[in-house]
Amino acid sequence: MAELKDEELITNAQQGDLTSFKTLVIRHEGKVAGVVRSMLGSTAEAEDIGQEVFIRFYEALQKFRGESAVGTYLIRIAINLSLNELKRRKRRFSIFAREEEGQFEVDDNNPMDLKEMINHEFNRLDVDFRAVATLRLVEGYSTEETAEILGIPLGTVLSRLARAQKKLRAGLEKHLN
Amino acid sequence: MENFSEDIFLKSLDVELSLQQKTELENALQNDRQLQKKADQFVKLRTQLQRNEVDSFGPFFAERIINRIKSLKKEIDYQIFFFFKKYQLAVLGVIVALVVLNIFSSDHLTLQSIFGFEEQQVEDLVTIDIYKDLTP
Repeated sequence: MAELKDEELITNAQQGDLTSFKTLVIRHEGKVAGVVRSMLGSTAEAEDIGQEVFIRFYEALQKFRGESAVGTYLIRIAINLSLNELKRRKRRFSIFAREEEGQFEVDDNNPMDLKEMINHEFNRLDVDFRAVATLRLVEGYSTEETAEILGIPLGTVLSRLARAQKKLRAGLEKHLN
Repeated sequence: MENFSEDIFLKSLDVELSLQQKTELENALQNDRQLQKKADQFVKLRTQLQRNEVDSFGPFFAERIINRIKSLKKEIDYQIFFFFKKYQLAVLGVIVALVVLNIFSSDHLTLQSIFGFEEQQVEDLVTIDIYKDLTP
């Protein structure tokens, strides 16, 4: 089963073969997990969103015509669901701002390493910048692929990338030296 | 000018620059120590951001998905059953009403009266139209 191409697995899954669908899940879990975790952080919601990505994919399976690669299709769902979750969090945050404020404070007694500092700054980026940075800088998609997944022009990808990197560098300047 | 060079440098990390832009950037990097420092920081930042290990949602993630799909399917089956259950009761009610109506309108209790069948004789079948043209 593992040696079958995505297209063959999709055809089998469309005919009700859950083993083929399971192989697709195993094959694409890593990329989806990377994107969702990068967007949402390693939170409890991340796995829920990850599961939702594959459930949505399963529900849309009969309509899947293979116009884009399975991986690209899944990442698009992952990004959209993550953006929705971030918007939901933002609304919740604005309601419970006082309660959650401390969550983003840096503890001086327990200094973070560079990776943690970067994650901390990364999570402070605007969601649109974070989506572009996740795909291009974290997951290594090309700028063209990033534009295709997000459905935005290449120029917008480049400008958002530049702004995201400038913000990150400004926040981390002393740690990057 | 510095911002322009910074933008060109960032662009160079993602797309191919034109020959003119390449020359401008090389000159700027040679002459501007501040830009050099920033460029090093950007490169370091990007290296740190790159994911080097394969991520996962933990063991048995695929199994959890398949279990959810199976339970979703059951749920849909139940929904279909309950959706039609409403109509099953309504249809049953209509059938009972028609049977009762037949019984009352025929004044006697036979299968023919209950289901509204007319009693058919063999002779009745022979008189069906297709035989009409064959008879001299």
